[in-house]
Amino acid sequence: MIGLIGKLIGRRILTAVPILLAVSALLFCVLRLLPVDPAAMSLPPTATLEEIEAKRHEMGLDKPLPEQYLIWLADAVHGDFGRSIHYRRDSGELVAAALPATIQLAAAAMIIAGILGIGGGLLMFRLRGTALEPLADMVSILLLSIPDFLWALILLFVFGVVLQILPFTGQVGPELAVPRVTGFLLVDSLLDRRLDVFLSACQHLILPAVALGLAFSPTIMRVLRSSLFEVYHEDYIQQARLRGLSEGHILLRHAFKNASLPTLTLTGVQFGILFSGTLLVEVIYSYPGMGNLMVSAVRNADLPLIQAIGLTYCIVVLAINTIVDSLYLVLNPKLRVR
Amino acid sequence: MPPAIARSLRSPRVVIALLIILGIVLCAIFAGRIAPNDPSEQNLLSILTPPLWMAGGDPQFPLGTDSLGRCVLSRLIFSARTAMLVALFASLGAMIVGTILAHISGYFGGATDWIIGRLVDVWMSFPPVVLSLILMVGLGIGLDRVILAIILVDWTRFCRVLRSEVLVVTHNDYVAAARLLGFTHLQAIVREVLPATLPLLITLMSLEMAIAVIVEAILSFVGMGVGANQPAWGQMIADARQYVYQSPWNLLLPALAIFVTVTAFNLLGDGLRRTLDVRLSESGR
Repeated sequence: MIGLIGKLIGRRILTAVPILLAVSALLFCVLRLLPVDPAAMSLPPTATLEEIEAKRHEMGLDKPLPEQYLIWLADAVHGDFGRSIHYRRDSGELVAAALPATIQLAAAAMIIAGILGIGGGLLMFRLRGTALEPLADMVSILLLSIPDFLWALILLFVFGVVLQILPFTGQVGPELAVPRVTGFLLVDSLLDRRLDVFLSACQHLILPAVALGLAFSPTIMRVLRSSLFEVYHEDYIQQARLRGLSEGHILLRHAFKNASLPTLTLTGVQFGILFSGTLLVEVIYSYPGMGNLMVSAVRNADLPLIQAIGLTYCIVVLAINTIVDSLYLVLNPKLRVR
Repeated sequence: MPPAIARSLRSPRVVIALLIILGIVLCAIFAGRIAPNDPSEQNLLSILTPPLWMAGGDPQFPLGTDSLGRCVLSRLIFSARTAMLVALFASLGAMIVGTILAHISGYFGGATDWIIGRLVDVWMSFPPVVLSLILMVGLGIGLDRVILAIILVDWTRFCRVLRSEVLVVTHNDYVAAARLLGFTHLQAIVREVLPATLPLLITLMSLEMAIAVIVEAILSFVGMGVGANQPAWGQMIADARQYVYQSPWNLLLPALAIFVTVTAFNLLGDGLRRTLDVRLSESGR
């Protein structure tokens, strides 16, 4: 079992390397199309042409593009992604500081989406053939049509502005000192036994996580429902009925277990979308994660930082796919027999 | 009229969706005639006017004004033009690129299929929003750039889903028969394979239009979209965000516009999927 997973992960890492190389080359080319000069941008506006030229030479910008890429690649392999032009700090450090907050947000959103999606999917399936089915269908399409950033705005408006019961800026109350051990605020505050920080962080996480979760849940709902429809064609459901089991028992104990596998696969595939959905939600809630960093980097045409963030998103997506496939292996006994 | 189209037009989903889309398209085409004011004219004496039905409303601005005193209704109408242009051309472009690659990949198989497949893998390892933002940095802002960025990101949606369909269709006897009759590969693809994948293609296109509207709104929201001179719903939301306490309407109205438009395209896609009997898995969207 563990051997199989190990093999899978090993194979995945092997295929990930060429993908990452291609992605980084692609990123490099796209960003070099820019009409901005990173050398001029990292100098004060009073710099002379000679100074800019010297800086270009120092940054290696006068070398041919493939050579520039190889230099960048060699540095990146050693964990050096270059200095951010805007923040004047190491890009890798900036990303490392922002990533935990985003992972925390995405994970919380995933849990909420899972609860809403599974609950909604089971409910929609139970409503099949009843007068409420067209209504449930309609609701699922309406939900599918509200993208994450609209949910974020709606929730911010209702709970933050009108009702004023939840905070909607930042990751934690501004008056609280933030302990930093792992970078994951929820974990760090508990390690530090700062219950006030933990509660404040939870409160700040509610609105962004629910917004993302709500946007993501209809996909899970619809996949679960269609998987359930497929499972119900199988003989063992009929068999279970003949044995006199209740509908609820059949649904939860027999059908759901089998329908959850395709649901899991698809949810995994879409997790990358949820992860990038954090981008706008973070901007809307001024949440200090990758999304805000990305938008600020994009606005300032901060090339080294954009490159580092783009690559990080890519690595996260590949890592998530691998985790989902391993989970699939664990949950599906059919794949284990070789 | 082909029976499939007649069947689609009897579906209430398709009809309702088409009516909504028609309404938005009419707004987009006749924006200059319908809009009561110039969308970019600033009336600094009447900023953040509430809509007509609220106290202090001004009949000159039926839905009020924004923080620069621009007419919200006019901006909403002109933004529909932006959204529809992006929806139409971005999905058309993505469809053309994706469909051509999917047919080449699925029809010829072998090394071509492998290369295109890996290309899709590389593209898909990027979250779409992140990729489109990066492309916008490289391309610069503007309506045509937004369309180009969406095409460059979303062709994979068509390619991935259509390829498997092409693969199935290509192995049908009638395609082999066409080849035996002396059809060239191109003729076989265009006259035998493409018509069979058309229902799936049309359904995907309608879903892609919904995605294009959302992506355009996202890009405009972060200020990397069509540019400040062109009204866009995403931009209106971004502007209204700072004044959400004084005038929540400015935020809610463009949000509603995006929601209605996206719902219409999704509803159309869903209706077409059912009536054209497209085997489109939930992951295909």
